[in-house]
Amino acid sequence: MADRAEYAARQAALLEALMRGDGYPAGFDSDRAGRAGSSLRRKRARAVRSAWPGLSAGLGPDFEARFDAFVRATGPPASDGGLVDGLAFVDWLGPGEDAGLTEPVRVELLLARAAVRRRRGADGFVRRRGAFVGAARLGDPPRLIVVIQAPGVGRRVGSVPLPRTGRPRPAAAKDGPEIDEAAG
Amino acid sequence: MTAMPSITHSLGRGVGWRPEIDGAIERAEGIGFVEVVAETIDPRRLPAGLRAARELGRAIVPHGISLSLGGADPPDPRRLRHLGAVADRVGAPVVSEHIAFVRAGGREAGHLLPVPRTAEALEILVENVGLAQRALPVPLALEHVACLVEWPGAEMDEAAFVGELIERTGALLLLDLSNLYANAHNHGYDAAAALTRFPLDRIAYVHVGGGVLRDGVYHDTHSHPVQPGVLGLVEELYAVADPPGVLLERDDDFPSEEELLAELAAIAEAADRGRGRRG
Repeated sequence: MADRAEYAARQAALLEALMRGDGYPAGFDSDRAGRAGSSLRRKRARAVRSAWPGLSAGLGPDFEARFDAFVRATGPPASDGGLVDGLAFVDWLGPGEDAGLTEPVRVELLLARAAVRRRRGADGFVRRRGAFVGAARLGDPPRLIVVIQAPGVGRRVGSVPLPRTGRPRPAAAKDGPEIDEAAG
Repeated sequence: MTAMPSITHSLGRGVGWRPEIDGAIERAEGIGFVEVVAETIDPRRLPAGLRAARELGRAIVPHGISLSLGGADPPDPRRLRHLGAVADRVGAPVVSEHIAFVRAGGREAGHLLPVPRTAEALEILVENVGLAQRALPVPLALEHVACLVEWPGAEMDEAAFVGELIERTGALLLLDLSNLYANAHNHGYDAAAALTRFPLDRIAYVHVGGGVLRDGVYHDTHSHPVQPGVLGLVEELYAVADPPGVLLERDDDFPSEEELLAELAAIAEAADRGRGRRG
């Protein structure tokens, strides 16, 4: 009788090591495992580039190295796909212009947060089925990008012009109130 | 042992359907079937290109990438329902999935990873494949994957492992000649000799994809042209077997329509050369 729990643990250990590029289980060829792991990290990077063109453009030539470092540090994700991987990557980078949160990225971030939410009580993301209201304040020209989403209505994205105040603008988008399942 | 379902479908020449080459596929002549990644399809909103394929009388084969049949957990019933719903929607003669795991311990690989070639892994695979077969509306074909990394302690080679899995489950075989070429090159064995030891009478269809040699390692990229060595395997296969269909996979760096047609023609010519060698 196969021991599924032990089998799962061995597969999980290999997956973790491949993503982190370190700690390969006994008996694996570390050179080949290193190549296989690089290939997994590059595949995730391609999916994020495709889902977050503003983010990859914002980080420019640093994108590959930063993303590689992110995967090595965090290992395999609980949810896959370029959209959620990019969201986790942005969280890992932290806020601020230096981390690549240019205005296009703040808009991508807003749309990604409208599309998915973190799982409750577990790692990973799930598709957002409830309502969402969020906004990102952009400075050039000064405006507020607003996303409103509700079941049965769909998603509306609007831009509201703001007066030029001369005050420093916030470095990162601020989420609006989440009303999620309450309205769903 | 499960009773072997007979192979009744005939597919001919095929190409992996991707939105980026939708138009070229629709215009190409002599295409008998297309394969579509099932996870990208909402059965309630079939893309226009797939509806057009149906109108042209082409078969559509849903290709799953997320069942993780080689994983420790039984396949997720929701994923199985989705694959089955896509198969129903497109009137598929067969669906396919991989002999691989794509998640473990609640974490996603985002890629097809190999399983150990052991009796224990076979036992789990046989159970998982059986669950999938009982949930799906049409026969299931299983594809062996290309892998740079191999588990230690293999108890059999790939052809024997795949052969036993096919025999014990009654599943069909999706023979991927590029994966075979990649594994043979990277792990140092003779691809043509290994080819004849796969259960060729159980082939549902054949995959041919492009790849590239880098630092002595062959990468099965599906974003490069089909290599001569892989076309050589097409010829070898058709010299000894008559598979129901052969399909070109291209997933990235999409070629021009002319290049795509040239690749399809090269595969057909290699198959004809093989047929010509039969006694």
